[in-house]
Amino acid sequence: METLMFYILSVVTVGSAVFVVLLRRPVYNVLFMILTMIGLAGFFILLRAEFVAMVQLIVYAGAIMVLFLFVIMLLNIDQIRPPVQARDIRWWAGALIAFALFGLILVVIKGIVLPAMETAVVAGQSNTELVAKELFTTYLLPFEIASVLLLAAIIGTVVLIRKQS
Amino acid sequence: MIDLVWLIPVFPVIGFLINGLIGRGFPERVIGWIGSLSVGTSFVLAILIFSELLGMDAGSRSREVVVYTWMLSGKLNVPIGFLVDPLSMVMMLVVSGVGFIIHVYSIGYMHGELGFRRFFAYLNLFVFSMLMLVAANNFLLMFVGWEGVGLCSYLLIGYYYEKKSASDAGKKAFVVNRIGDFGFLLGMFLIFTTFGTFSFTEVFAAAPGKLPAGGLLITGITLLLFVGATGKSAQLPLYTWLPDAMEGPTPVSALIHAATMVTAGVYMVSRCSVLYAMAPVSMTVVAVIGGATAFYAATIGITQFDIKRVLAYSTISQLGYMFMACGVGAFASGIFHLMTHAFFKALLFLAAGSVMHALSGELDMRNMGALRKKVPYTHMTYLFGTLAIAGIIPFAGFFSKDEILFYSFERHVGFWILGAVAALMTSFYMFRSVFLTFYGESRVTPEAARHLHESPPIMTVPLMILAFLSLVGGLVGIPIFEGLNRIGDFLKPVFAPAQAIINGAAQQAHAAVSHGAEAHHNVGLELLLMGVSLAVAIAGLLLARRMYITEPSRPDKIIEEWKGVHTLVYNKYWVDELYDFLFVNSIVNFSRFLWKRFDDLVIDGIVNGVAEVTRWFGAGLRRVQSGLVKDYALSILFGVLLVVAYLVLR
Amino acid sequence: MIPIPAINLGSILPALILCAAGLVVLAVGLFVRRGAVTVAALISLVGIVLAFMTNSPLRALNAEAFSGLVAADSFCWFLNILILIAVGLTVLISAKYLADEGMALPEYFVLLLFCAAGMMFMVSGNHILVIFIGLETLSISVYVLAGIHPAIPRSQESALKYLLLGAFSSGLFLYGAALLYGSAGSLALPALAKYFQAGSTSLMAKAGMGLLLIGFGFKVAAVPFHMWTPDVYEGAPTPITAFMSVGVKAAAFAAFVRVFFDSLAALQVNWSQILWVLALVTMILGNLAALVQDNIKRMLAYSSIAHAGYILVGMVAGHTEGTSALLYYLLAYTFTNMGAFGVVALVGRKGEANNMIDDYRGLAKLHPLLAVTMAIFLFSLAGVPPTAGFVGKFTIFSAAVKEGYVGLVIVGVLTSAISVYYYFRVVMKMYMEAPATEPQALHFGPAVVVGLLIAAVGVLYIGIFPITYLDLAAKSVMPLF
Repeated sequence: METLMFYILSVVTVGSAVFVVLLRRPVYNVLFMILTMIGLAGFFILLRAEFVAMVQLIVYAGAIMVLFLFVIMLLNIDQIRPPVQARDIRWWAGALIAFALFGLILVVIKGIVLPAMETAVVAGQSNTELVAKELFTTYLLPFEIASVLLLAAIIGTVVLIRKQS
Repeated sequence: MIDLVWLIPVFPVIGFLINGLIGRGFPERVIGWIGSLSVGTSFVLAILIFSELLGMDAGSRSREVVVYTWMLSGKLNVPIGFLVDPLSMVMMLVVSGVGFIIHVYSIGYMHGELGFRRFFAYLNLFVFSMLMLVAANNFLLMFVGWEGVGLCSYLLIGYYYEKKSASDAGKKAFVVNRIGDFGFLLGMFLIFTTFGTFSFTEVFAAAPGKLPAGGLLITGITLLLFVGATGKSAQLPLYTWLPDAMEGPTPVSALIHAATMVTAGVYMVSRCSVLYAMAPVSMTVVAVIGGATAFYAATIGITQFDIKRVLAYSTISQLGYMFMACGVGAFASGIFHLMTHAFFKALLFLAAGSVMHALSGELDMRNMGALRKKVPYTHMTYLFGTLAIAGIIPFAGFFSKDEILFYSFERHVGFWILGAVAALMTSFYMFRSVFLTFYGESRVTPEAARHLHESPPIMTVPLMILAFLSLVGGLVGIPIFEGLNRIGDFLKPVFAPAQAIINGAAQQAHAAVSHGAEAHHNVGLELLLMGVSLAVAIAGLLLARRMYITEPSRPDKIIEEWKGVHTLVYNKYWVDELYDFLFVNSIVNFSRFLWKRFDDLVIDGIVNGVAEVTRWFGAGLRRVQSGLVKDYALSILFGVLLVVAYLVLR
Repeated sequence: MIPIPAINLGSILPALILCAAGLVVLAVGLFVRRGAVTVAALISLVGIVLAFMTNSPLRALNAEAFSGLVAADSFCWFLNILILIAVGLTVLISAKYLADEGMALPEYFVLLLFCAAGMMFMVSGNHILVIFIGLETLSISVYVLAGIHPAIPRSQESALKYLLLGAFSSGLFLYGAALLYGSAGSLALPALAKYFQAGSTSLMAKAGMGLLLIGFGFKVAAVPFHMWTPDVYEGAPTPITAFMSVGVKAAAFAAFVRVFFDSLAALQVNWSQILWVLALVTMILGNLAALVQDNIKRMLAYSSIAHAGYILVGMVAGHTEGTSALLYYLLAYTFTNMGAFGVVALVGRKGEANNMIDDYRGLAKLHPLLAVTMAIFLFSLAGVPPTAGFVGKFTIFSAAVKEGYVGLVIVGVLTSAISVYYYFRVVMKMYMEAPATEPQALHFGPAVVVGLLIAAVGVLYIGIFPITYLDLAAKSVMPLF
């Protein structure tokens, strides 16, 4: 059952990711990207990482992608077609490097021996609870630094927008 | 008094600071005299220290004065220190003495020039760097001076920066010297990694015990150092920057590009005499390069019409003599020639400058002639300089050049032949310049003739002092008579360790073929060689006289007075032609070939090639550095591929 | 009741103070209208001085804090000082620049302080997560700062480029971290060290290490991950360029060193060979490219790439000698490059209209002292004794020779011989040539003068008396070995 789910999710995720790249209309790109995100959330559920799955859905599929859609629709980007990429030496070089990297990843995957890891699922505790506990005890500091990071991002956005007006 | 040696380089710095920082608005005279007196004070101090050194026992005339120890790390400290010994003493005296005279001359020569203050500031900075170079007691401090003189040299070559040729010449000097400096730096680094110290005394003391004589490492070190010397002292194949450097003001040519800076390579090789003595291969390379340069540059000197370029090539040629002396193991003779050369070459340049001054900047000797009466002092002093460089007894060049030729002969007759032929050509082209400039008929343009005047005393007095030195400077090194070769005896302790190594090797070689007896000074041979070189010098003089004084009027005279023996005249004429064809013309053509082809194609080709490659590289860079993010990302991905592939697939 | 682990604020106090100062600037900026920039600069300086004072206990502390995520040791103490010097000098240079450009943006200083705080977290991180978040904090702030100039389109372009490529490299970094986590089951540096020491070297772990190396390589601008550098350095406001070229580079190198010597030491054979190649091409390409530049900011950008190459030589050499030489080099480079860019910011004038090398013609005549200071910085970059740059290069090269990397050192000496050409070119322009047009005298503010003075004195002082600082650097790398 899990294996079947895994393959279905894989097809959906990878397939929609391919469409994100291939399709030319920005709205379709974003919609397929949402699908990719949902697929990824499915993987997290399979891994029993409910909290991450939820975050994936709410933040990426929800907030960020909707924001993308808003921008695209407000600016009417649909009219703008990206220029067709000429197949010059760079195109071929890029393609070659991409394939070579893909091959390398295959080599790496083939040799993978996963270590025995303490599972994230502890009897009687939900995943969310565990993550929360870790976040506020062991990983308290990175959590707090992230707030500085976000504040910097907010200030940056405001500064960049304000100076244009 | 010796402990005050650090003050010698300090005085020029004071002059530099006064003129450079607060000199704005000072009148020219004040600036000039501040600059000159700061160097003059150094000279006086150098004389005081010199006299103290003379008062000491000959064996103990070597003192290190450490002012401050620069701690670089726990294991490495570099003393800011000075080494006072006969070698550095001679150099300090020459640099500060000749420097002082040239400074004074510059007050007159640079009068009214834009940037007068700048000129004196740089000149003082140069003297400081040069004094650091010669007085330092370790390689690193010497290198600081080495780079310092280089910087001042480029700055002063490009002094007339609005002239494109001047800034190009500065650039050329810079590029060529980089090549040399690279060798010097690597040599220095090798010395440090081998000996763990930069100090001269420590390195030279440790070298014989630590490295096998003739080994690869010692040969490598000395050859790398010599690469540095060829760059700074304009030897084959790195000499081309020097003739171009004549774009700078003439006092600069005299001080930096004739009397002092370009001799830094000779000084460095002599300073490292112990190391060179241990590397016979390097010695041979030094001697061959020196001899070849002496010959080669002399041939080019014959073809030049620009008076400063003649002097430039003759400088290269004379530097070649000095290296040849070092290469055959006659370090003291090399330094002796360095000293006399500083006198007469500075004199020649300054006199040439005086001629230029008189002719409103004319440099082409074809537009001179018959200036003897117009600029009598300049003429006399230039003639003194020429007699000295040509090696006419008793002028300074005679003694020093003769000593080099003698030792070259002892080493290998080939060196002697090179040197003697170069001496003949030197005598020829120097007298040629004398005759073209001061004798014959006037070819001065009417424009220049109107302003023709002798230079003011502030310029002619320095000329006379230098002329006097060119006359008597050689008397400190009279050969043959015991005790009269004062400079040789003075320098002997410095080169004694190197001499011992060379003699040791020679004795071994002798013992192998069971010769036994040590070669003594062969007085007869020395006298004979002396006679030959004097004859050679006079031959050059006569040849030049024949071609540039007698010849123009000769055909007419022959027809009038010698009608009866015109066959003979014919014959003679034919001999002359043949002579011209066989000897003069072929050499002229050959040297013109060397100058045009080799110089322009090979050496300039390298310099231009560097420029071409950089241009090509710049164009390529612009294509790659396109400004497009996707290209940049591609470059990163390419790196990712290589790094991961290396790690995964290996 | 959940047990809360010990919170040792002292170990991150300097960074906290910088964050707090940033918040104060933000708050004050709401109320002060006139002279906001000056007030913001003053508050920032106060914060920096306080952070400096609270930094000193770290030297002797040598402890882990926050469940082992942070290492408060002498290494982070040294780097904190370096970061504080860099940010302090940036503030001093910036005040005048912002006033000239009419940029009344107190937020500029907020971002600068947050950026420095991010750097501090990065250098003290004992866990790849902390290092990454610190890295992102500094990156986000720098992206915005690079594009903060409202009137120069190139500034925004450079910010966008930097953002895109930075995100790209962060993705690679994260991918590498994920692969490492998958192999070792932890991202704490001690745990990683234990994993690799046990001899387990899976392909996945190696690939992860490679990707981490690339993430750091991007930040330090090593070839071939350097392409953004000239464009971004040219486009960003000059004080920010200065800060990027020393601060970001120092922090990235510090984290690089800590991760690779602390936790990946067992794989040194593998990565030091890669770094050997990177150092080689970085030195060669950086110096050759700098040779053909006409814009001084681009020239200094390529020169900073070249210097990354020299610093990589120190990493290749490794051991106490190599890494302590590296730290000294970073210190020397901080003073030198801050100073050089400070002069560039001054000479650039309004709108950065004078950033060509030709604009330096005749500077010596107009402002002799400014020209002398610039010459000092350029000599130090070229590595001429007795400046700090010389000692830095010398110690790095001799460490490398000691480890037998003679070939690398020969290339290093050769390329630095080349570099003398383009540094001296500026000196020649300043001293030997006359300006094309009659130049206007520059106006100095007291802050810039103090900043340049500190930088120049620093260059000479640690160059002439290097032993104290070399010892400090040697002691600072002790926790790593």
